[in-house]
Amino acid sequence: MAQAVIFPKLGQTMEEGAIVKWLKKEGDAVAKGDILFEIETDKANLEVESFFEGVLLKIYVREGVTVPVNTVVGYVGGAGEKVPDQPPAAEAAPAPAAAAPEAPRASAAPAAPAAPAAPVAAPAPSPAPVPQAPAKPAALPAPAPAPAAKRLVISPRARALAQASCIDPSRVKGTGPNGRIVEKDVRAFLGAANYDALRITPAAKRLAAEKAVDILSVRGSGDGGRIMVEDIERALRRKPVTLSRMRQIIARRLVESKQTIPHFYVTVKADLTDLMAFRADLKAKGLSYSINDFVLEAVILSLEEFPVVNSVTDGVTVSWRGDVDLGMAVSVDNGLVVPVIRAAQTLTLAELNAQTKALAEKARTGKLLPDEMAGSTFTVSNMGMMNVDQFTAIINPGEAGILAVSSGRQVPAVVNGEIKIRTMMAMTLSADHRIVDGAVGAQFVNAIRAKLENIELWKALV
Amino acid sequence: MFDFDVIVIGAGPGGYPAAIRAAQLGKKTAIIEKEAFGGTCLNWGCIPTKTLIASAERFHHAAHSESFGVTAKNVAFDYAVMAARKNEIVKRLSGGVQGLLKSNGVELIAGAARFEGPNRLSVVQPDGTSRWLSAASIIIAAGSDAAMPGFLPKDKRVMDSRAFLDLKALPDRLLILGGGVIGCEFACMAAALGTQVTVVEMLEDIVMVLDRDVRRVLRKRMEALGVTLLTGAPLMDIAVKNGTVSGTYKDQTVTGDLLLVAVGRRPNTAALDLARAGVKIDERGTIPVDAQGRTNVASIFAVGDLVTGSIQLAHAATQQGEAAVEAAAGLKSHVEKLCPSCIFTSPEIGLAGLTEAKAQQLGLTVKTATFPFSALGKAMAAGETDGFVKWICDAASGQVLGAQAVGAHATELIAEAALAIRNELTVDEVGRTIHSHPTMSEAWMEAAHAFHNACIHLPKR
Repeated sequence: MAQAVIFPKLGQTMEEGAIVKWLKKEGDAVAKGDILFEIETDKANLEVESFFEGVLLKIYVREGVTVPVNTVVGYVGGAGEKVPDQPPAAEAAPAPAAAAPEAPRASAAPAAPAAPAAPVAAPAPSPAPVPQAPAKPAALPAPAPAPAAKRLVISPRARALAQASCIDPSRVKGTGPNGRIVEKDVRAFLGAANYDALRITPAAKRLAAEKAVDILSVRGSGDGGRIMVEDIERALRRKPVTLSRMRQIIARRLVESKQTIPHFYVTVKADLTDLMAFRADLKAKGLSYSINDFVLEAVILSLEEFPVVNSVTDGVTVSWRGDVDLGMAVSVDNGLVVPVIRAAQTLTLAELNAQTKALAEKARTGKLLPDEMAGSTFTVSNMGMMNVDQFTAIINPGEAGILAVSSGRQVPAVVNGEIKIRTMMAMTLSADHRIVDGAVGAQFVNAIRAKLENIELWKALV
Repeated sequence: MFDFDVIVIGAGPGGYPAAIRAAQLGKKTAIIEKEAFGGTCLNWGCIPTKTLIASAERFHHAAHSESFGVTAKNVAFDYAVMAARKNEIVKRLSGGVQGLLKSNGVELIAGAARFEGPNRLSVVQPDGTSRWLSAASIIIAAGSDAAMPGFLPKDKRVMDSRAFLDLKALPDRLLILGGGVIGCEFACMAAALGTQVTVVEMLEDIVMVLDRDVRRVLRKRMEALGVTLLTGAPLMDIAVKNGTVSGTYKDQTVTGDLLLVAVGRRPNTAALDLARAGVKIDERGTIPVDAQGRTNVASIFAVGDLVTGSIQLAHAATQQGEAAVEAAAGLKSHVEKLCPSCIFTSPEIGLAGLTEAKAQQLGLTVKTATFPFSALGKAMAAGETDGFVKWICDAASGQVLGAQAVGAHATELIAEAALAIRNELTVDEVGRTIHSHPTMSEAWMEAAHAFHNACIHLPKR
């Protein structure tokens, strides 16, 4: 009997996601454990394995469409086995993460196809299958035009001329009844724009026509300003491209943070010279620690000393978060993820080092689970590897601060009244001024600095 | 004040047009040449080889025209006369270059130049004296020499193409190391004159810059001409003894009276003392330049074979030279991206723009369209039905991105393709352009129709 393939719920907060890529086609043989598809959540891309063996009989949800978790996205079964043309309704009960889904109930009503189900003018109807009375795709009304696009009043001949000339007709002023654009207007517009002097290669014009690029807005780079294919391609790159889900989430959260949290910043420079020598000694003994490990540990200890920095406020109340669940910003392809080290105050330096390494590796290979990236109480963003002098970071909503760690630099520094070459590293705290006062912020960053510079402490901790 | 506005180092096809262009732009110009005006192209490259190839073709046609109703008995050739004719043509052209330079008011300076600073050169003249010169802009056009790898025996029977051109007679058996353009051109020329030729190429096939279907035609014709093509393994254990050169290809011993080495060319940058001017070179000794030919030193330009990534063709150097001089004069200019290549093998080959293989490497979706000469009236009439032309087009728009032609007159035919590619025509414009009948050029039009599967002169597929 054919088994339903279900869009898994991979985190407690996960409600929906999109299949970014099917790795099997309809009709492909599937073994248990084969990767069926990759999904994109607001946090990460993940691979989903098959629990069944057989043939991928049906795909309901094509790539790029966002659906609620537990949606039936396809069927695996014996070759030639019958499956419904349309997906059954989503499983009502939330299945545990990646649990074996059950077969569709016989009584389940067929759902509408993945298309706008109701004739509403919503510009972006959720393509999620909505359990409703069956409807034939042909009977569906055409999607309503985007409300922003003003309808252009233009004669067919004028439109054809504009199209053939590769210009944007909305720039033409209409002189017909009610401002209707007629052929004469387009001709006048072309004349005024000195269109006949425009030079464009055949391939460039063809591309402009196909992609609806207004060639009057394109600057030509060829001989005598002739518009070449690469000029059209450059114009095309100016068109808006939808951000990935990850970037959209990043954008939303950053704006939320900057608009709701009054940030203030305080910077100190820590002298890493002795710590680097200590680290080199450890390395010689076969113990491999990074500067980041020491920074994280110093932050964890300081958060224990300054609980208000490990708190959160809604503007009315303040709550101490208790455990230090330390977020660690990791740069990944076209984005940033923040895996969380849970109850970091309970870890030894060696455990911290191991966890950090494992999480960073998972982040880089896209293997982090959504729950591994949620619920941090304070975050460290380390750009030490990026060759920067100093920067400020934006607080993750739900936290009271973030520490921006810059590169260690050999600079002349005053030590006991003498100028010496020392390795200095800038650290900037961004703090929520509603609960963290300037004085507390200053004490907090100085506590971190003092720890980093205190080699006796590290000798005790390693 | 400088002695000159522009000094050009090297009077090859990159240098002398640059000097003339500079003079045309009103610049006080000098050109320094250490050996022969016209450079490699004119003296030891393009021109002498094509002269000899023309002789070889004459002989070949005279001896093989029975099917045309022309029978010649006792057809013979005298290589010494061929070589003398070649020398005469080279002399005439080299004199012509000097005449052109002088008529434009360019000062000709004989000697070897080296840098003494970003605007300063010293020249060791033929009489041994040194002369110091300065210029606001300096164009380096010193070219390249054949590479002679160190593992080769030092012997007069092991030679580069330049020495080969000075031979008074062809060997009976010729061994060629390198199946690239130069190796194959010499192989065809010598084979047409009855020499038994063996080419050894380490790569999987000869002239790998070409698409496979084009190489196939060349390979077949070269083998029909009697050339032995050994590819996919190096020539090992090269040794000269008892008046022969021998080596091992796989487990086979190959022997020749001479070994012609054609394994690439080395830039002539070492003797220029570029470091004294601060000009950077890369690890291969070539000079990186920008889109106008400017080196990392603002007053110094480099053109031709010694430029990083250069296509190493005379006509590429010429255009680079003109662009560089115009840039030095403060004009807007740029080095052209598209440069057609011509290969004077038998049959000839022309190449412009992207090959199918390169397009695939770049991840482009292309569609090719070909037309065989065997379906062309003119080709049949001329008895030249081997080969074809090929467009490499953007699959969606039909824009012609590349072209190859293999067959008679392919080196002439490629000019039309270059014009079409540079100006971003699509197969539709090419197909609609009336081509004279009966000509070989019709093949381009027919191949353009083939893109839409609409050839008039091929059976319906």
